[in-house]
Amino acid sequence: MVAVAGLSAAALLAGEFHLRFLAEILIIGTAVMSLDLLVGFGGLVSLGHAALFGAAAYAAAVAAQHLGGNLLFILGTGIAMGAAVAALMGAVIVRTSSLFLLILTLLLGQIVWEIVFHWRDVTGGADGLRGLPPLSFGPWVLSSARPLFLLAGLLALAALWLAHSFVDAPLGRALIGSREQPIRMSALGYSIPRIRFLTMLVAGAIAGAAGALYPFVNLYIGPQSVHWTLSATMIIMLVIGGVGSLWGAFLGSAVYLAIQTYISAYTDRWQLFVGLIFVLTVLLLPNGLAGGLRRLASRMRRRRAQQA
Amino acid sequence: MRDDAQPRLAATRRRLLVGAGVSTLLPLARPVLSQGARPLRIGMVTSLSGPFTALGESMRAGMQLLLSQSGNSMAGRSVEFLVEDDAARPEDGVRKARKLIGQDRVDVICGVISSGVALALRDVVTEAKVPTFLLGSANDLARKAASPYIVRPTKTNWMLGHTAARWAYDKVSKARVLTVGSDYAAGREYVGDFVQTFQQLGGRLGRQLWTPLGSADFGPLLTTIASERPDMVFGFFAGSDAVRFLRQWKEYRLAGRIPLVGPGAFFDQEDVLPAVGDAALGAVNAFNQSPTAPASANFNRAYMAAGKPLPGEFSTNGYVCGQTIKAVLERVEGDLSDWEKARAALFAEPVDTAFGRIPFDPRNGQAILDIHVNEVRRSADGKMINTVVHTYESVRDPGPDA
Repeated sequence: MVAVAGLSAAALLAGEFHLRFLAEILIIGTAVMSLDLLVGFGGLVSLGHAALFGAAAYAAAVAAQHLGGNLLFILGTGIAMGAAVAALMGAVIVRTSSLFLLILTLLLGQIVWEIVFHWRDVTGGADGLRGLPPLSFGPWVLSSARPLFLLAGLLALAALWLAHSFVDAPLGRALIGSREQPIRMSALGYSIPRIRFLTMLVAGAIAGAAGALYPFVNLYIGPQSVHWTLSATMIIMLVIGGVGSLWGAFLGSAVYLAIQTYISAYTDRWQLFVGLIFVLTVLLLPNGLAGGLRRLASRMRRRRAQQA
Repeated sequence: MRDDAQPRLAATRRRLLVGAGVSTLLPLARPVLSQGARPLRIGMVTSLSGPFTALGESMRAGMQLLLSQSGNSMAGRSVEFLVEDDAARPEDGVRKARKLIGQDRVDVICGVISSGVALALRDVVTEAKVPTFLLGSANDLARKAASPYIVRPTKTNWMLGHTAARWAYDKVSKARVLTVGSDYAAGREYVGDFVQTFQQLGGRLGRQLWTPLGSADFGPLLTTIASERPDMVFGFFAGSDAVRFLRQWKEYRLAGRIPLVGPGAFFDQEDVLPAVGDAALGAVNAFNQSPTAPASANFNRAYMAAGKPLPGEFSTNGYVCGQTIKAVLERVEGDLSDWEKARAALFAEPVDTAFGRIPFDPRNGQAILDIHVNEVRRSADGKMINTVVHTYESVRDPGPDA
């Protein structure tokens, strides 16, 4: 309820630029949150998450160029593409862990990048794709900032709800079990590869839905969106926001993108600030901003309870 | 958090929602600026990190020189100059341009080095109807992506690729020409336009090699070139890529053995030549800028008086861009509100700039420029200097006819 109020307040008060910027934060945040399912609950640190997000974004952009920007069709294309790439990646990585998982996801992500970068006829190569038609839903054209922002907000809320129910479902519990006690889980009859594969699919579908909207915020999509550096950026956002909290992903992407957009107007060394915040987060707030806020809230509550 | 009597689960979910709500409101901290009587705001999008850092800093310095020469005022309006970094990435460039338009409410946008960023900005500035003076040289911006809101006071890639091919065919070699280039918009266009004109003239080509933007090691490429033994290499790299390529070109003992021809940015006077020693000695380039061109003399003096080296393309670009904006403002007495009228005033008469006296093509807002053929020579004090050996006058991009 508060989130809905926040979103609608922002929709009423903020200007064109801010709404688009917030939409971008919400979309990237949704992708980061889907990464949190893998990292925070499955202990699967992936350096290939941008490939899921970016491949879906390209699929949506190409589909829109040829068949128009019908929202449900575009979302469907993105989700299908995200899940398909996730299925491929999942099939390769389900039996690996830690370092090998990191390297394999990195390599698979780079393969997707290579395809996007060199398939010039379809993806535009290094130049990316522009000249996309606006999204439409029935008779409404969703091209200005406000509807795009609301769309991104709805996507974020739906994805957050989906991720929460996934984590609370038996499958999500089993995923945590497979991270904490893989041997015991196998002995209990759970198939760990199957759990991980299904998690990859869910994360890929959510990242794909986010990716589907991404090209329409700036009416542009470029190969940077599938590059492994975006995967690494997503991990940084996740750590700043709070691994395993789900909603922290949105905090993390807001902090990162705000630094990138605002600090860089004053200094060329904005990455130094990202680095400092990252180090401070790891040292002082091991559970990220989300964990810090939660601790602050419970401390305030305790103090109030003592006063009462 | 108002109510402690709630069950635990509900409290958790509410905290989660509060967090999501707050996070979306965070960047709203800066209020939207109010409109009113105010100075002219010029927003520049350029690369201050990434492979074009040096070029972006030069561009900014060129613009700043013009602004300080004109006492930070144009046509009686004081000027505020804002600079944003695009890191040579289209996504970042688009976000920064939207910030300049939406939050800083700039009257004019200028800048851009990477052709990719320039193309990505096209739809943003056209939709927002902001007068834009782009310095990225993608051909399409003069052709099917031309926009009534975009003026380009610099060259298109075609102008250099085309003239380089004419020169190479007449004076260097008619066959066994190998091409090598950075695999992004500008590289594809320079090499593509060179190949097209060269073949139209009847020249024959060897292999075509590509490497991604931002390559660190050109070893495999240079070994291939050495084993192919072409009669000439046409190449294009920019910024730090050009520096690394030329250094390795010398390390592989290819410098001085195989004639090297390229567009001017490959051998930029300010950002490339000082960093590569004599590796580029004898190389030939087609360029709209040359420190030895007469039109550049005054700018050279002023720029060097500010403690800078001999200017290259992007400092001159920044300066010329400022000169063009200033000329437009003076022709409409500082009032840009009617862009249609301002644009017509710009096209009515050529503008005097450090590139010479340049007319603008009314079809696409593209400058029509003299293209020099420069040879890298050793000057009296031992420095490498781009020296004009020939000038193709009034080269005009085919524009919508291409």
